[in-house]
Amino acid sequence: MTGGQPVMRREAAMQGAVEATADPVVKQRFVMGNEAIARGAVESGVRVVAGYPGTPASEILTSYIAYPDVYVEWSTNETVALELVQGASLCNQRSMAVMKHNGTNTVTDFLMHMNFTGVRGGLVLISADDPGGNSSQNEEDTRVLTHTYAHLPVFDPSSPSEAKDMVRTAYELSESTELCFVLRPVMRICHSRTLVDFEPVLVIPRPADFVNDRTRYVMSAVVEKSAGGQMRPVVRHRWLNQKQHELEELVEASPFNTIEAGEGRIGLVGCGIGYAYCKEAEEITGHKFPVLKLCTLPLPREKVLAFADSVDTLIVFEETEPVVERLLKEIFYDAGKNVKVLGRSGFLPAEGELSDRTVLQAIATLDPSYEQYIPQPFPLSVSVPMRTRTQCVGCSHRSLLHALKLVARKTKGVVTGDIGCYDAGAFPPMDLQSTIYCMGASIPMGSGIVQSGFDKPVFAIIGDSTFFHSGVPGLINAVHNESKLVVIVADNGTTAMTGFQSHPGSAENVRGAGARSISIEKIAEALNVPVQTVNPYDISETIDALNQALKHPGVSVVIASAPCYLLAKGHGETLFEARKIIIDPDQCNGCRVCIDYFGCPSIQFDGAKASIDPLTCVSCMLCIDVCKRGAIA
Amino acid sequence: MKQNILIAGVGGQGNLFASSLLAKSAICRGYQVLATETIGAAQRGGSVVSHVRIADQALYSPLIPDGQADCLVGFEPVELLRQIRKLKAGGIYIMNTHPVLTVGCTMGLDQYPTMSEIFGALNEINVRGHVIQATDAADKIGDPLLMNMVMLGALCAVSAFFKLDEIKAIVAEESRRAMVEANLDALDAGVDLIRQAA
Repeated sequence: MTGGQPVMRREAAMQGAVEATADPVVKQRFVMGNEAIARGAVESGVRVVAGYPGTPASEILTSYIAYPDVYVEWSTNETVALELVQGASLCNQRSMAVMKHNGTNTVTDFLMHMNFTGVRGGLVLISADDPGGNSSQNEEDTRVLTHTYAHLPVFDPSSPSEAKDMVRTAYELSESTELCFVLRPVMRICHSRTLVDFEPVLVIPRPADFVNDRTRYVMSAVVEKSAGGQMRPVVRHRWLNQKQHELEELVEASPFNTIEAGEGRIGLVGCGIGYAYCKEAEEITGHKFPVLKLCTLPLPREKVLAFADSVDTLIVFEETEPVVERLLKEIFYDAGKNVKVLGRSGFLPAEGELSDRTVLQAIATLDPSYEQYIPQPFPLSVSVPMRTRTQCVGCSHRSLLHALKLVARKTKGVVTGDIGCYDAGAFPPMDLQSTIYCMGASIPMGSGIVQSGFDKPVFAIIGDSTFFHSGVPGLINAVHNESKLVVIVADNGTTAMTGFQSHPGSAENVRGAGARSISIEKIAEALNVPVQTVNPYDISETIDALNQALKHPGVSVVIASAPCYLLAKGHGETLFEARKIIIDPDQCNGCRVCIDYFGCPSIQFDGAKASIDPLTCVSCMLCIDVCKRGAIA
Repeated sequence: MKQNILIAGVGGQGNLFASSLLAKSAICRGYQVLATETIGAAQRGGSVVSHVRIADQALYSPLIPDGQADCLVGFEPVELLRQIRKLKAGGIYIMNTHPVLTVGCTMGLDQYPTMSEIFGALNEINVRGHVIQATDAADKIGDPLLMNMVMLGALCAVSAFFKLDEIKAIVAEESRRAMVEANLDALDAGVDLIRQAA
């Protein structure tokens, strides 16, 4: 499970570094991949860490809470986080930015400048991908953004231990090459738990000094005298391109790329988690295949060519785009080698997550004698109902969504949605939001619907953390350009979806220390538009506010503010009086409004009447207001 | 030696705590452990599946391959059915009978299978297991959420690998103080449910 010895350990640039743990003995700890990644950075003397929550990466950042010497923050968004850590890097401090793939999309603009300037103190960007979209609105491969597009070196770990080793190596190489290094862990690495070696924490006593170099850190369309009058962007672009040769030499010697000899002329190429599935397939079949483990970008050309001599066909297992596959084809084409390269462009499924089954099926496609190892599914005579997620029992978003649905349905309005727990309002039975794209899209899309000439009301619903992340520019735009739009901020005081992280509206920071809470209400008021703050647990108050907002000719903001029930419960707070809620069977006429319209999972239906499941009901009492027959008390 | 345990349930059932106890008990005995969970929006009523892989050799895939689970612990009936392909030939399942209805089933869009349909489907594919009323037992102890501990107790009674005393020692260490006694009682209740059925 370990990835071998990282190259160039503890080099000269780190003279004077002190190992700060009292107990320098290596200890094995049972930790999540995310914690192993953070540990790799503190063992490298990281000083500044910033990120924005996003599954599967969130726990990387919260792992730093255990290390008081590291400056760590939840930034307003990922772009802010990366820009901030580059500032620290320019002061010769080691830094890290943490995000999931959607965040990497948003930082691309900064990345496309930072790749030209390079870094000073070691800088590692964690870009966590979610193949299969298990906890994401989309599925993508950020190696395309960070390597194919930005030409930065990328490590793709095959295990939590290797992820930690890669972070340590990345810091050393980031300083020797002056480039930002990218670690691209997939969800299965982030969320795996295993025994990982904990080595001593390192403190690097480097002064935070700023050394001016405007030819480098001022990216601008200016002629460069020293380069014969060429434009600076071209000069820096050339610098980045020349760096590729240095990287190619480094990856050739990297322990993260290995050749395993085996039998037969079919070779398996395992990239990141793909390597783990290849090894699993070997165990299942009892056959040792020739295996080429490729966990770096760029690829080690000489190693690839050496491996190719032992095989006729290569199958490349990578998440998720055919990045390595295409690079291998390029290497073989240039070298005039006749090796067949199969992978995710046409041979393996081009979408979704890999598994050991993908590897077995691929091998069996080439050699049917392996079909015996593919487990047959059990044919079940019953159909297994799908489980879509919904709001938690007791969640204030359910009553907000319910109130909004009553108003939107009555006025035949359209509701645009955003990213967060409240997005489950787009699923049955709520069926409310008509669009969900990426962070912050709700308000501009709503404006576009208005400006198209659509003559019914338009509502944009966005969460508090998302509002700070990227909702504000859309709101300012809607106000400035006079879109008649109702903006609803579902404010539960936390970034609940990803595990209750703080945000700029919170009164505390990531370490739980006091922080200056930024008021959403005051931001909206500063735009000179009507702002109403309501308690979403009061359905009629919320409906009244929405109706009031509709009367306004321009943008009107409704802030629905109530704490996240789950978070409050976790803190031992009681939001609701403990009491038994009962549906009177004599009063219930089986209209199913509480189920098909409101949709609390604690309400069941026996075919004729509704009843409350006492095991799950938390007595939020919202259903009492929802039932128009007064059957619930 | 290799042990693959899969726990299938719904968000909020204590799936992750249960799987971490199994992992820690194996680590105490010096084994390698690789575990993961699929927690797609788990807190909001989604499916949660924990994979716990234990071996005296290197482990690679965090996911238990199909047909390789020694024991499939179903905190919820249809979640167990959803993962049945993971069970290996000769593997054992333990099913809690208490259903957590899906939104679609409550709305009448999907049909939640009856218990006799579920038993029929399991019998047809010739898998062996134990069916226990773990939620009811937990409720009797004082909290239906103790179901996860009842199921772990049942696992200790069924599995030759996990030892009740070892799990109890870790539960005593890892539980919140106020919960220790109830958790230990729930483990015992799980053992009893299996013995009574035998």
